[in-house]
Amino acid sequence: MSEAFAWRAGGCHCGGVRFEVALPSRVEAQSCNCSMCAKTGFVHVIVPESRFRLTKGADRLAEYTFNTRVAKHLFCSECGIKSFYRPRSNPDGWSVNARCLDEVEGLEIVIEAFDGQNWEANGASLAHLSREHA
Amino acid sequence: MTRLAGQCHCGAVQASIEGIAAAELSLRACQCGFCRRHGAMSTSHPQARITIAAGEGALNRYRFGQKLSDFLICANCGSYVGSLAETDIGPIAILNVRGVDLPGFEGRAAEPMTYDGETPEARTERRKARWSPAELTAQPSRA
Repeated sequence: MSEAFAWRAGGCHCGGVRFEVALPSRVEAQSCNCSMCAKTGFVHVIVPESRFRLTKGADRLAEYTFNTRVAKHLFCSECGIKSFYRPRSNPDGWSVNARCLDEVEGLEIVIEAFDGQNWEANGASLAHLSREHA
Repeated sequence: MTRLAGQCHCGAVQASIEGIAAAELSLRACQCGFCRRHGAMSTSHPQARITIAAGEGALNRYRFGQKLSDFLICANCGSYVGSLAETDIGPIAILNVRGVDLPGFEGRAAEPMTYDGETPEARTERRKARWSPAELTAQPSRA
């Protein structure tokens, strides 16, 4: 992995679910207006599989699916926090909730609006975010 | 009578606030670790009435910090619905406008709030003055 990435920790509120994600110093994040994201306030930081690891709480995660059931919405069964999930746009990667990072010092998060209400027209525009770099 | 109603993502939990128009209801963004992670935007009014309808087992109750109230989470879809406290004036609650997609708040920014350093007594008094009398029922609410 490139040295440009630093592992950052985060998790849910009760501490039952913990993760680490490798991020550059500047990340693009998406704020989505779909019915699900609007209800959770999820701020998406999408990464490839290799840049995410669950460090605690696999047994604490509850899974919710709807519609196409491709996205696996995962939340802590204790405190309800959705700190990361498997997104429909990037089923080969992970989307981490920027709200759930422990520490954002030295991290520039640029939040863009994503029109998830028109997912079919826009979903593909995110596909590159989970691509593993050579 | 003014009534705003919404539900969690999967529809297992329904919630409403009745008696005060949306424009008169405050919209608050508590900055605690729980509310920040949920992106919570809370509303309530002491003269409004909150009803939360959920079948048996549909809600998870989460407590933390001073453990004075239950934070209500849909057990199926994880939506944070609102918080409910038992007090000497009866049950009182707030709703998470975001979590139940309550209409009438579009385009409004939530006011950031911090309650750090509050004693349990002060917290309960603040909530009694600001939260809404509430009912948690197993019956589906009116459409």
